[in-house]
Amino acid sequence: MSRSNVFQFRSGRSVFHRLDPLSKLAWLIGVSLLAFGAYIAWIQIIISAIVVATALLLARLSPLEIIRGTWLLMIACASFFVIQSTMLPGTTIAFRVLSKPIYVESIDYALASALRIYTIILSSMIFVRTTDPRDLAISLVTQMRLPYRIAYAFFIALRIVPTIEEEIQIIRAAQAVRGVARQRTIAGRIGEMKRYAMPLLVGSLRRAAMMVMSMEGRAFGAYPQRTFVDAPRMGAPGIVVFAVTLASVVAWYTALALGYVHAIYVFAPA
Amino acid sequence: MTTNDPTKTPTTASPQFASTSHSRSTARPILTVSARNAPNRIPPADFASLLEATNADASPCHGSLDTEVVVDLSGVTYTYEGEADPVLRNVSLRVNRSEFVLVLGPSGCGKSTLLHLLNGSVPHILNGTLEGTAVICGKVVAETKVADFATDVGMVFQDPDAQIINTRVRDEVCFGLENLCRRVDEILACQKEALDCVGLPDFGDRSIFELSGGQKQRVSIAAVLAARPRLLVLDEPTANLDPAGMAEVFAVLARLNREYGTTIVMVEHRVDELADKVSRVVLMDQGAIVFDGSPRAAFSARRVVHSEEADIVPAASWFPQVAELAMDLAAASRRELLPDQVPLCIADAVDLCAAWSAPKEAVAVTTPPVERLKKPLLAIKSLSFGYDRNTPILKKVDLALESNAIVALLGRNGSGKTTLARLLVGINAAPAGAIDLGGKDLSKLGAREIAAYVGYVFQNPDHQFVTDQVDEEIAYGLKVRNYSVDEIARRVDEVLAIVDLKRYRHRSPFSLSLGERRRLSVATMLVLEPHLLVLDEPTIGQDYERAQQLMGLMARLRERYGTTILMITHDVRLVAQWADRAVVLRSGEIAFDGAPIELFGDADLLQSAGLLAPPIHEVSRLLAVRNPERGIRPVLSSRELVNALVATGRKTSQ
Repeated sequence: MSRSNVFQFRSGRSVFHRLDPLSKLAWLIGVSLLAFGAYIAWIQIIISAIVVATALLLARLSPLEIIRGTWLLMIACASFFVIQSTMLPGTTIAFRVLSKPIYVESIDYALASALRIYTIILSSMIFVRTTDPRDLAISLVTQMRLPYRIAYAFFIALRIVPTIEEEIQIIRAAQAVRGVARQRTIAGRIGEMKRYAMPLLVGSLRRAAMMVMSMEGRAFGAYPQRTFVDAPRMGAPGIVVFAVTLASVVAWYTALALGYVHAIYVFAPA
Repeated sequence: MTTNDPTKTPTTASPQFASTSHSRSTARPILTVSARNAPNRIPPADFASLLEATNADASPCHGSLDTEVVVDLSGVTYTYEGEADPVLRNVSLRVNRSEFVLVLGPSGCGKSTLLHLLNGSVPHILNGTLEGTAVICGKVVAETKVADFATDVGMVFQDPDAQIINTRVRDEVCFGLENLCRRVDEILACQKEALDCVGLPDFGDRSIFELSGGQKQRVSIAAVLAARPRLLVLDEPTANLDPAGMAEVFAVLARLNREYGTTIVMVEHRVDELADKVSRVVLMDQGAIVFDGSPRAAFSARRVVHSEEADIVPAASWFPQVAELAMDLAAASRRELLPDQVPLCIADAVDLCAAWSAPKEAVAVTTPPVERLKKPLLAIKSLSFGYDRNTPILKKVDLALESNAIVALLGRNGSGKTTLARLLVGINAAPAGAIDLGGKDLSKLGAREIAAYVGYVFQNPDHQFVTDQVDEEIAYGLKVRNYSVDEIARRVDEVLAIVDLKRYRHRSPFSLSLGERRRLSVATMLVLEPHLLVLDEPTIGQDYERAQQLMGLMARLRERYGTTILMITHDVRLVAQWADRAVVLRSGEIAFDGAPIELFGDADLLQSAGLLAPPIHEVSRLLAVRNPERGIRPVLSSRELVNALVATGRKTSQ
């Protein structure tokens, strides 16, 4: 049961691994804002290409890892693209499928929408894979002045997710051996969750109690503040990433507000 | 080890020290204090003098400090919130500095509660009513917060994964001192010292996820050692480790106690490798201390205690095997075994056996080997498997199993044992044609078809429960296979009687004790009458007596149904006692397949697979080397060795 989760931190030496968490968080928020604001396919294609290039070159994720982490999403996005392309109205017919016209405007909007979802999820995956949850928590305390107890609660929650996921897999395997079949229907899935709930709850409570004792036994929460050894700091690369992201977001929304985007948008309404 | 007075740290608004670095790998700690906190900052203690004080105190020369009382419990009774009966009853215990105390007893006797009392987790986290007086390192437990014990008591639990908070070794070791608002340079020095102490000096930058079980547990020990506690408390720290990991941890503890004078109180069931390292043994039964004395005195006489279900069980179940051998030898030679003569290690036992010759009138008892009818059950042919293509876990495994056998599957943590077992039951999808199960390709069988043939008892019984009642739990597997109501009732009654759970048939599975839950999980498999039953680590989280009961049940199963038991285990004593075949996996390949006696005779193989031979085997092997004229051969049980000594004693005297 040692399959590692693709949405889980893995240590490495890539450029993104070496960036401080808050710069990466700013990049993630910036990319999401750009993706939300970009309703034009070719701009969304550029954003997606930049994010994919970031994943491959700056975060050093392999193509296989990216596919493994997002294949379900790819299918969902492709379905979304097909449905929207066939359903949305337009004026310029691109081609016909079984005599139904498919419009250029519909394809353009559907492609932008599908890529928007994919871009946001992939950029989240880059962030999660290259950011140690502990570093993020510490950055929130040392740079954002968040109380350390809250930051650690956030960190522990992220830290424990893969453990719970692994435990669910074990419970599923243990119950499959009993002859419990995987359920396909929603009602079946709810019943399945009920069966998992008790062992999961018992295990999680035991684990939580152990963690509390381990933390309190080492003076966690004894003082209002604490020392941080090796706290991440925003260095020159982080400042560059932050500045470029901020400038891109500001430029894009300014261009939108001033109508420049519509001026170059080939499918813009007259 | 010393403690730093926590009152040195500010209590109102503590300073926040943050070292900064551009990257993790090039950490260059610089003491920085945020301007926001600067006004509240208290001048830090001089670090050089602090280290000097620490080293002076941590030197092996303790002098009069050895008489310092670290643990002082007087008439302690503790009852958990919502429980009617106390879990600790009138416990009085004094532990002096530099003592190494081993606490033994059956599951549910209050051992863990006693340990949790030593750092205030009881009563401050695990709530309940505390009566009597408990003073630890001069602090009254009832009036002291758990965090205030951080520099006095270091607590290490059974499961390193549950207690490690951080994802990098250095972060984990620094965690406690960061919470205590220590200076960065001091923290880093203590971190280095703690990692040196546990033999992991270059592991600071390593990810926790890259470590073996033994290394993780050593990191857990380092994480509490960094605060230089006076008392180290460990609750079965080697339960999840393979023999190599266990040896690593015990060696570290022995060194800490011997060289640094660290006081240790520890609960542990694996006493064979520990008996000669501890200075004192405390035996608990039903919440009370029933014996407290030297290891030799503890292991010189058989006693009885009560299990969690209130059954009487022999306390000798927790004795080292060499002590059992001495008692058997004393009984055979009709001598009294004095506490001074009780062996605690293999060398002691060899000396004792060499010195004591059995009288010529003693009768050797031999048990003729039992011939069992065997049929082919399962065949694995050139099986390779991995969760991804780049990291194969099993490599060209060939294995055939027959009916009516108890087979032990051994190997280091991560050698592929559980992966192999999960392939047999269909949890992992087997490659086509690789596993033949009763004449059929396993990869083409459905989950229910496989489950009718192969049962799997998981490490944690709770994972397998799917209903709210014991009898329904047993009936579940039959119901999903559409058995008739009468047949279900008949089989459930029969199995409930076999596992001795009839009286609990209407209770919730989760309300049973751990031993009962374990038996219930076996029963859920047993009711389907599988040809092969896989047991995943039957001894983890169980005391020795419970594991014996479980294996007794397995032996009865074999007798009754001809079932083959495949047990994944690290417990070589269990293998020696119950298995008639041992299979060793090493890095995903079968390194050995044969009789346990042959396995334990291959020292190179044992070392490469991270295994240890059972003490009796080592004693008999060394006796054979030392006195070849006596004709003693390596054996696996105390009785066999006593018989051999009787036989050779008679030969010598003729």
